[in-house]
Amino acid sequence: MIYLPPGFIRNRVFDMNDNVLEIRNLVKVYPGVKAVNEVSFDIKRNTIHCLVGENGAGKSTLIKILTGAETRTSGTIRLNGDEYQVKNPKEGKNKGISTLFQELNVVDQLSVEDNLTLGMEDTTFGFLKKTKKIKKMIEVLESLEPSINPKQMVSTLSVAKKQIVEIAKAVASDADIIIMDEPTAAISEGEIERLFEIIRSLHANNVTVIYISHRLDEVFEIGEYVTVMRDGGHIDTKPISDVEGRSELIKMMIGKTVFEEYMPKDEQSSEVVLQVNNISNHKLHNISFDVRKGEIAGFYGLVGAGKTELARAIYGADEYQGEIVFNGEKLEQSPHGTIKAGIALVPEERRSQGLFTMLTIRGNTTVMNMKNISRNGFINSAKERKITAEYIEKLQIATSGSEKEVAKLSGGNQQKVVFSKCLFANADMLLLDEPTRGVDVGAKSEIYQIIRELAEEGKSILIFSSELPEIINMCDTIYLLFEGDMMCRLENGSDIDIEAILHTAACGD
Amino acid sequence: MENKTGYIKRAVSSMSNETFISLFMISVLIIFFGIACAIVPNFYLPMNILNLIMNYWYIILLGIGVTFLLVTGNFDMSVGGVIAMTGVLAVYFSQSAEVLKNPLAVGLGLPYGVALALALLCALAVGGVNAFFIVKLKVPSIIVTLGTMMLARGVAQVVTLGAQRNTSLPDIFGVIGNASIPGTPIKISVVIMAGLVLIAVILEKTTIFGRRTYLIGANKEAARLSGVRVERHLTYLFLASALLAGITGILMASEFKAGISNRATGFEFDALVITLLGGTNINGGFGSVLGTVVGALVLAVVTSVATGMLLSPDWQFVLKGTVTFLAILAQRYALDRRKG
Repeated sequence: MIYLPPGFIRNRVFDMNDNVLEIRNLVKVYPGVKAVNEVSFDIKRNTIHCLVGENGAGKSTLIKILTGAETRTSGTIRLNGDEYQVKNPKEGKNKGISTLFQELNVVDQLSVEDNLTLGMEDTTFGFLKKTKKIKKMIEVLESLEPSINPKQMVSTLSVAKKQIVEIAKAVASDADIIIMDEPTAAISEGEIERLFEIIRSLHANNVTVIYISHRLDEVFEIGEYVTVMRDGGHIDTKPISDVEGRSELIKMMIGKTVFEEYMPKDEQSSEVVLQVNNISNHKLHNISFDVRKGEIAGFYGLVGAGKTELARAIYGADEYQGEIVFNGEKLEQSPHGTIKAGIALVPEERRSQGLFTMLTIRGNTTVMNMKNISRNGFINSAKERKITAEYIEKLQIATSGSEKEVAKLSGGNQQKVVFSKCLFANADMLLLDEPTRGVDVGAKSEIYQIIRELAEEGKSILIFSSELPEIINMCDTIYLLFEGDMMCRLENGSDIDIEAILHTAACGD
Repeated sequence: MENKTGYIKRAVSSMSNETFISLFMISVLIIFFGIACAIVPNFYLPMNILNLIMNYWYIILLGIGVTFLLVTGNFDMSVGGVIAMTGVLAVYFSQSAEVLKNPLAVGLGLPYGVALALALLCALAVGGVNAFFIVKLKVPSIIVTLGTMMLARGVAQVVTLGAQRNTSLPDIFGVIGNASIPGTPIKISVVIMAGLVLIAVILEKTTIFGRRTYLIGANKEAARLSGVRVERHLTYLFLASALLAGITGILMASEFKAGISNRATGFEFDALVITLLGGTNINGGFGSVLGTVVGALVLAVVTSVATGMLLSPDWQFVLKGTVTFLAILAQRYALDRRKG
């Protein structure tokens, strides 16, 4: 545990061209989904290695296996040539893989110094000792960012500086690899520059960086190698200099089969059912658009673009200024009111927002329209059972019966229960927030089929998704969101420019 | 034999948690009852069993409201205080307004019906305060209701100068709490309790209102996003719980023909204990009023055994506490085992 300031190489001697990490045939299976499928690639020592891919490509699962938060189903990982297998993140850290999560792991109420040593304090009779370790940590921090005072409270630091504190902690505890998960998502332009300088300087500390970002510009700016993943599989790993530019990367990320499924409708209804006029709230800025009867409208943007917030605002779950008119009437700002007006929401998080997992399928299906199954407030349970059975049949929910607890269903079937719930609400408009997240491929195409049928019946559908293929396959109109602003409206068709969409979503212009 | 255990295992694992816990607590009741019959002579006599229920009518009555609230994941610790306050106020409102030397004998002289109605309104007001802080200001229910518990008890203390009011009451005041069904020892209070339990069971299992209660407990956010007006529903439940406590307070004041400021001390805990013994989940989501009645019987059996064994009253708390603890631990253990 000897620390040498930047510019020196630590006393461990490695061939500079060897691989710090070798991944072979890695597989991770969740019930119904192969999240990581036979992935093999190497990461060279002391490089900045970018990992890119669409949502659901398997990046986060891969990272979770590396950190120890998840266990692999099969495959091998070698760290510095040795078999690497850890049961929890702490063990992973001890073996040399540290992670900078989006949700930073610092304690606001403590000083910088205390944060650095958190979890590795030395004590004498229960009192904290100031050891070499602490001094070393502080030295590393000072070399990385002299403007941070170790005595300062962490709560007074910006997000960017908190990240630097975490990086310093990882470097000083002899990490071989630091994984950075979208580190620039929440920091400003100037801070990004500073962060990149620091990342580049980590070379000198014998640290390899695995950098994950949706912003492709950053990949070209900072990356030395790039690995592309798609649908759980490994597509390619190569030096950035061999990549012919963003379009090649994007092609690798989304594959070729993208537009094949979208079928323009023969005729579009011209009847406008929803008018969103200039709505704003803590996240959204002056958003306006119209939706016609039978239209499938898609809202695309990266994490933090405001998709969920927009869905929740329309639904009345969050407050907003401005006005939303549905079927000629101004919407009330409460879910109760919007459901009555004829709008239903499939929320982003089905377990915490969409379902009552401890209740049965029957108990879930009928919630949004209990009037329909009751008389004078008394529930007609025969009718309720019959209706639940109908939806199980219609949406092909795999279950032994309507009395099964929802917690015991698979992700895809749970999502179908959420859909049954919204369909039973008899809504004219459905808001679908990430409708196929965590759903296996088979259930996914079934859900797409349901959505298309609903649109043909004349229901209007709004899809909020961070999966571009989903948006492009399904939607008649596409809206791009960036940090709470509506960037543009596109008509879907064979001439749609995917590269331009990704560019706008990632850069905001 | 092996097939049989396999079948039982399957049956158990296909049961909902609620059914499982209810059956579990009924078995506990039967076992306790068996032990009681074995060690206390004549314990099995029907009269004894009837007495068990009748002596616990007030806790069961309170348990109704507490159960509904606990199913939604909320506590109501103010019920004991509300009993004392409502009882004392009902007495104070009915006492004659004639000026006498003893200030505790002078009331407002309101007609009996008006006095009761006003006292119940005051109970509802406490429920309203609970609802306001918990629902609107999002303060945890345990904190708010511990506050109103003190507040209500304080009002009772102030009105009785820390003692009790028991003079210059109209004769009718003592009727309802002491009257029985002619020809039987069953008191009107017990009949009221039984009627309210019946209504609660129907409300809980067969109506939209009952269903919403479970939805809120199972997942408050999903309930809101499914169109349940969570705030309004919780307000109703806090008002109902306070009203039930108010009714209990009036019945108890009538029984003694007195408003006593330290009446019903600790009842909020008894009501919570029988609710938990009855299988209601402390985090909400499942539970039932019938379970609470079973819980009350478990507690009643234990207490009577203690009395039957001539255990000194000092030891009764220890016994009650131990049994409660064991029953709830067993429940938790059984639930976890079932999942594994």
